[in-house]
Amino acid sequence: MSFQEQERALFDLIFDSNVRKDFSENSTAALHQYELNEEERNDFNTIRSDALDLDAKIRIDLLLSHFCCFFPVSFSILSSISGGIETLKSLVDVLTMRTATIERMTYFGRRIGECLNELPFSTAHEQKKVSMILEAELGVTWISEALKREVLENGQLHIKSSQVDQCWSTKKIKLAPYVCVAMIPQSYEKLKQSFCPDIGCDLWRTLNKKPLAEVTRKKVLEKDDPRLFIARVHVSHMSQCEPTIDQKKVELSEGFASLFQHVNGTVSVDYILENLRRIGAQDEMVQTIKATFQQLLESEMLEQA
Amino acid sequence: MANFLEELPVLGVGASLSLSSVPEPVSLVRAKGGPSFVEYSGLVDVDRVIDEVDKIRAAGAPLLFHPSYINFCGSYPNSTAWLESTSTHIESVGSSWFAQDVAYCFWEEGSGYSTQLGYFIPLMFNQCSLEHAVERVKEVQAKVSVPVAIEPPAVTFIVGSMTLFSFLGSLATQTDCAILLDMGHLVSYEMASGRSILDEIDELPVERVIEVHIAGGRLKEGELGLIYVDAHECEIVNQTWQMFEVILPRLPNVKAICYECEGVNENRVLSTLKRIRKIVREKSTNDTLVETLTNYI
Repeated sequence: MSFQEQERALFDLIFDSNVRKDFSENSTAALHQYELNEEERNDFNTIRSDALDLDAKIRIDLLLSHFCCFFPVSFSILSSISGGIETLKSLVDVLTMRTATIERMTYFGRRIGECLNELPFSTAHEQKKVSMILEAELGVTWISEALKREVLENGQLHIKSSQVDQCWSTKKIKLAPYVCVAMIPQSYEKLKQSFCPDIGCDLWRTLNKKPLAEVTRKKVLEKDDPRLFIARVHVSHMSQCEPTIDQKKVELSEGFASLFQHVNGTVSVDYILENLRRIGAQDEMVQTIKATFQQLLESEMLEQA
Repeated sequence: MANFLEELPVLGVGASLSLSSVPEPVSLVRAKGGPSFVEYSGLVDVDRVIDEVDKIRAAGAPLLFHPSYINFCGSYPNSTAWLESTSTHIESVGSSWFAQDVAYCFWEEGSGYSTQLGYFIPLMFNQCSLEHAVERVKEVQAKVSVPVAIEPPAVTFIVGSMTLFSFLGSLATQTDCAILLDMGHLVSYEMASGRSILDEIDELPVERVIEVHIAGGRLKEGELGLIYVDAHECEIVNQTWQMFEVILPRLPNVKAICYECEGVNENRVLSTLKRIRKIVREKSTNDTLVETLTNYI
């Protein structure tokens, strides 16, 4: 008896639309790829194929209502594009579902990114903006999963709290652990307000009933107000089973993007500011930038190298 | 019959609620004709729910913990960490027993809630599956301090030729555990298998059934007939009421009848509890259970 092979077949029947289609046409042939004896194969003869299809459909909807929480703006935008919702549904397949739970959302997000080229955006510029938004949401998802994995594998994290002393600006700086940085075309909160009529799991149901209007997508994405999006995730509730990961986000003006290329542990804030002065930056601007770096250090988005 | 079943408290007619959505548990417990106990499907970590639980207890209702993250079947074992947290949870809230569907909540190494699979993946009805289920139930029994009750899950389709009650009966007997029967899930089994529950009832050790669930659902018209979909926010379908009336008289030791009503408004919950109590008075053969309804209209 190979019960594990039966389990594998069961999983594939639920999550692999090709196996399901083959099964509905010829159940015996569809199960030939599994190492099952006749008795084990016959166990699957009791399956009602119409019910199996319905099960898969309901399951995909339920899963997407959870996945939607990780990519709310991207999901909303895709709902406004012809074939967008179908694309999302198609990605809840055996590849996604066989990915370890702790990595599944990152994998799913990457796959959305790979599909963007195939979707009919109005312009390449619009597609690029959507890609930037997805990258930001994917970044937060990735660091969230990485932190959760770290906590589950090694227990409570002991990240040293960075003390911002008086000579902080002379010290080399870098991104703190579990921080991601991405350029986005507009404020993320504004995008969310414009595109997401609901929050949490309800968003997917809402988008299915009433997808985001194409005209809204075009109108909002026409505007250009790029931001440097920075997110840091932390454990808000420790657990040996299901730690809760929360996030803090800040957004900076576009000009910080070029400065952040140097935030890699090799230079100090003073060095960055000195270079700005050298190219003619006004003192008021330099002081504002310095204060912003200090706030980022105090909020543990950055740390001393 | 196992002695431990005799010692379990009779809880009456209660409600299964989400601690985070309507109907509001404390308000419902305090309402005239409200539930005499509350069951909840909470998070594994008790500290995440204990404040809510304490409020419900203070309102006078005992609690039952009924999660959806234990594998009571299949080849993937439950993790020690999750079982230990479950044990702590049960003891902290004083759950008299610990019941859950016999289904897959997680796959391979990915311990977690059944939502990560959409919802439960149904068990397979064959001998090998039964042997693994025995292993899974014993694994849980070894960690938790209260009796375990196994529940057949809602199914849209069936894998395997063993009957539901033959599987469930063997599992309960081999592990000396209790049974929870969900009336809608039994309807789902009938529709998915084309079999009649009453034809199988003799295979079930009915004396082990300590709890009954009744909940809303939807009927979908499939190409090959009706398909039952578990949907607690919906009305209870006629087939489920009929199943309740037919099955209840056959359960001499049932101690708790639970209306699963997450997402249902309070007025509808109260009127449904009233209807359930009426049926319990008329149909139950457990006098102790009927006595718990003395103070209800």
